[in-house]
Amino acid sequence: MKTKKNDPFQHLKDWIENGDSALEVEMQDELDDTESQPLPKEPAGPQKKLFVLDKKNVLKRLNIWYAVAAFAVCLALIGVLVYAAAQLPKFGGADTLVDSEVTAFYVENTMEETGAVNIVTGIILDYRGFDTLGESHVLFIAVCTVLLLLSIHGEKDEEQKLKADAYDRHFEPHHDEVLQCCARLLTPLVLIFGLYIIANGHLSPGGGFSGGAILGAGLILYQNAFGYKKTERFFTFRTFKLVSLCALLFYSLAKGYHFFTGANHIPNGISAGHVGNILSAGLLLPLNFVVGCVVACTMYALYTMFRRGEF
Amino acid sequence: MLETVRFIVFALLLIAGLMIQLTAVLGACRFRFSLNRIHAAGMGDTLGLLLLCLSAIVYEGFSWISLKIVLIVAFFWLTSPVCSHLIGRLVRETDEHFKSEAKEWKP
Repeated sequence: MKTKKNDPFQHLKDWIENGDSALEVEMQDELDDTESQPLPKEPAGPQKKLFVLDKKNVLKRLNIWYAVAAFAVCLALIGVLVYAAAQLPKFGGADTLVDSEVTAFYVENTMEETGAVNIVTGIILDYRGFDTLGESHVLFIAVCTVLLLLSIHGEKDEEQKLKADAYDRHFEPHHDEVLQCCARLLTPLVLIFGLYIIANGHLSPGGGFSGGAILGAGLILYQNAFGYKKTERFFTFRTFKLVSLCALLFYSLAKGYHFFTGANHIPNGISAGHVGNILSAGLLLPLNFVVGCVVACTMYALYTMFRRGEF
Repeated sequence: MLETVRFIVFALLLIAGLMIQLTAVLGACRFRFSLNRIHAAGMGDTLGLLLLCLSAIVYEGFSWISLKIVLIVAFFWLTSPVCSHLIGRLVRETDEHFKSEAKEWKP
């Protein structure tokens, strides 16, 4: 960071560097007067130019049509879903799903065919592997949307970035002794617990989604206690991109290979192994890890995006 | 005989824990200011949870499950006070009328 004499952002930089202590002094003086606190003004973004279009009426009419169309689509969707729900078998009935062959097949054959003691994992990652692939992509798409809307990464305007940082520092208790002590104790335990749940996904309740959520919670706890400077050492935007890309790519390729060879009865070299061991159940363990990585990255990315707009 | 005693202890602990939780909920709903509410809610997370988990341990006896329940208590006793502390700090820094509220509740 440069320090010129006539730097227009000097007050923001000062604030960022010793925000907490500056805030303390202000709190003593002017607790009741919030307006004189140096809250930076609302950033006058380029979005405001949208409303200065010449053809105002066209835009208005488009907006009306857009609202009508959205309403109609929503109504149609609700109708379809309600109709589908009405066609479902009765919940809790005595003969509901008794004649479903799939359920009995799963219960009888999952352990044998996939090597998973936890039948749920066997179903969602093996029989319905593409469904889980779609779910992982849904998470990834959600993060992409949030990135599009909120990210200030690559923003040329230095003031915008500094303001975001200042906003972030304003109310957030940084360098809180108590929280840091607690986080130092808990973060490793939380991360290990998350890894344990992921690694035992095919043996006991759990798996990629729940373990990944715990990993993300551990990351968020660490970030809260120690700030962005510490997390930037191991988790940046680049890391997020790399991990998400590799995870989703590996999942797609592995699952595609597995399904292709399985459907054509080609030997694929993936065996269930000794049921009950950690290193068993063929693809389930790596797939669980991959899903866990995606979920953890998603949790952390959503948190940082909504908090500051940057990793 | 021993079973009866154990059941009575279990029931007493359970009822005491539920009473404390009820007090916490009532306090969190009834008090007007954030700091008082934290005071009430924090009690439920520590003492109420301890009593409830103790009752579960008495019901279960010595086993791996009760050891895990002890871990739950340890986790909550570590994290819940930290949460209360952070919320209290945030209230002090963000509440516009903090001074008047704090004055009202001075003894």
